[in-house]
Amino acid sequence: MPPIIATRDLRKVFRTVRRRPGALGALRTLVSRDYEERVAVAGVSMAVEAGELIGYIGPNGAGKSTTIKMLTGILAPTSGEIRVAGIVPSEHRKENGRNIGVVFGQRSQLYWDLPLVESFELLRAIYAIPQDRYRRNLDEFVELLEMQDLLRTPVRQLSLGQRMRGDFAAAMLHDPKIVYLDEPTIGLDVVAKEAIRNFIARVNSERGTTIILTTHDLADVERLCRRIVLIDKGAIIYDGDVERIKNEYGRYRTLVVHFCERVAAPSLEGAELLSVEEATARFRFDRNRERADRLIRQASERYALEDVSIEEPDLESIIRRIYIEGYARSPEEAPR
Amino acid sequence: MSSVLAPYWEFAKKAFAREATYRFEVFTEMGSLVLRVYLLRCLWTALYAQNAAPFNLPLHSMITYATVALLMSLVLEIDGTRLIREKLRDGTIATDLMKPIVVPFYFFSDGVGRTLLYAVLVVPTLLVALLLVHVDVPAPATLGVFALSFLIAYCVNFVLNFCMNSIAFWTLETFALQLIVRWISDLLSGQIIPLTFFPGLIGRTLFALPFAAIYSTPLLIYVGITPRDAWGAALTVQLAWLAVFGTLAFVIWQAASRRIVVQGG
Repeated sequence: MPPIIATRDLRKVFRTVRRRPGALGALRTLVSRDYEERVAVAGVSMAVEAGELIGYIGPNGAGKSTTIKMLTGILAPTSGEIRVAGIVPSEHRKENGRNIGVVFGQRSQLYWDLPLVESFELLRAIYAIPQDRYRRNLDEFVELLEMQDLLRTPVRQLSLGQRMRGDFAAAMLHDPKIVYLDEPTIGLDVVAKEAIRNFIARVNSERGTTIILTTHDLADVERLCRRIVLIDKGAIIYDGDVERIKNEYGRYRTLVVHFCERVAAPSLEGAELLSVEEATARFRFDRNRERADRLIRQASERYALEDVSIEEPDLESIIRRIYIEGYARSPEEAPR
Repeated sequence: MSSVLAPYWEFAKKAFAREATYRFEVFTEMGSLVLRVYLLRCLWTALYAQNAAPFNLPLHSMITYATVALLMSLVLEIDGTRLIREKLRDGTIATDLMKPIVVPFYFFSDGVGRTLLYAVLVVPTLLVALLLVHVDVPAPATLGVFALSFLIAYCVNFVLNFCMNSIAFWTLETFALQLIVRWISDLLSGQIIPLTFFPGLIGRTLFALPFAAIYSTPLLIYVGITPRDAWGAALTVQLAWLAVFGTLAFVIWQAASRRIVVQGG
């Protein structure tokens, strides 16, 4: 079976008005304009199989939203090819619309002044969902997302977490093959986050919905995705297993040492000093070359210690490092 | 058919329900209208007392004209396409474009739903107004042609608003522009002063402008200034304006959606 989403050398270049600084500059911009080109997506090629749940991540301005907009068909690529469920999205925006669902954490598609259920009924009409299927889906989502008491409440009276649950149900009512989630857990408390994550995992595993998840909360990715696509400056810098990237970068651990008193320039053989703050120093070491217990013994022989701890790298710290240093196939070669 | 039109019918229903949640706004709108009916009665009565009736429009016809014009404004001043501007500002237009719908039709049905609420309000407003003024009721045939002309006027008004609000695709804000156009059209469309009152060249110019198709044409039919044999011509001119601005709206929308697709809105 061909991949459900396939892009080849996808590029998007925006032409924007160059703004001049200051009030006088703004005035000049009104009269004479010159343009500059900004490459938002610079040749993205990827293939997503049906039923995958992919984390599409990258720093702000990396080109994530632009890619998603092109996949949904509301933005035409400057060059390159896209196929989503066999369709070229920007040429067949409406047909593509039937295959996809979207959730934006920052903006809602629900009718603000009306009870939640009214927005669902509107979507039933838009997607021409047969009555029985609509009922079945709605019942299931209401139960999964615990929305029994929310259906009759005007959306403007819902909390952010409640509203997000409504938005999720709204995006899935028509059984889309593909769902794009853009920052779906932003601003939510831990309980609401977990509820949303469970729902995503369940929709993916039970309905086989393909999900592209864009997020800055890497805990979402760690919890949900097996594969991540990492994008920076418009280009893919990593596409593969979450586990692999963790193993490659996870070779490094951090030893945190709390001294009894301030130490000017602490050092340990076999570990690299990352930072010193007050009486606390952080060392990085390669777990394949050095053992933690030996480092600790070494530290206790040299200094008076109050406490020692070891930090395992989580995905967030790994990604942070990649954003800063760039991705290298073998991390040791990465510039420090 | 039903499944094709179902979403748009549903949009109209939701817009109706949504507007109805703003009860205070609805009632103040009605109150202010009744007040204006009364004020205009006083104004025209005073003006007529000073001068002989102009042309063939006696005072009772003038008051009928002014009252019907105000009732029409209840429907026509609802900017059914305001939604475009709002959606552009908060960016939710992107989500609409991701749905299998024709977005301009969505805006139209939303506008119709909003308008229907106010159209329903015309009845009670009229009843209250009748306590203050006397309104002539023309023959059924005239009333029917008036209704048809009003319907076309509604569409002309809609596409005109659509064109103006679509400018927001480039500028994001069109409020000042709309205020100017609103002032001009209030004066030039015959909403306040019948266009037959304007002399010579000015009068002829005003009749040639599209604004006349919004208030003047249906109103002049209602009060009987447009004779029976000129009805066809009057409606044709209205339809011509509808075609012109309908085409313009289509062109603007094409350009706007191209802009979204290329520039990301």
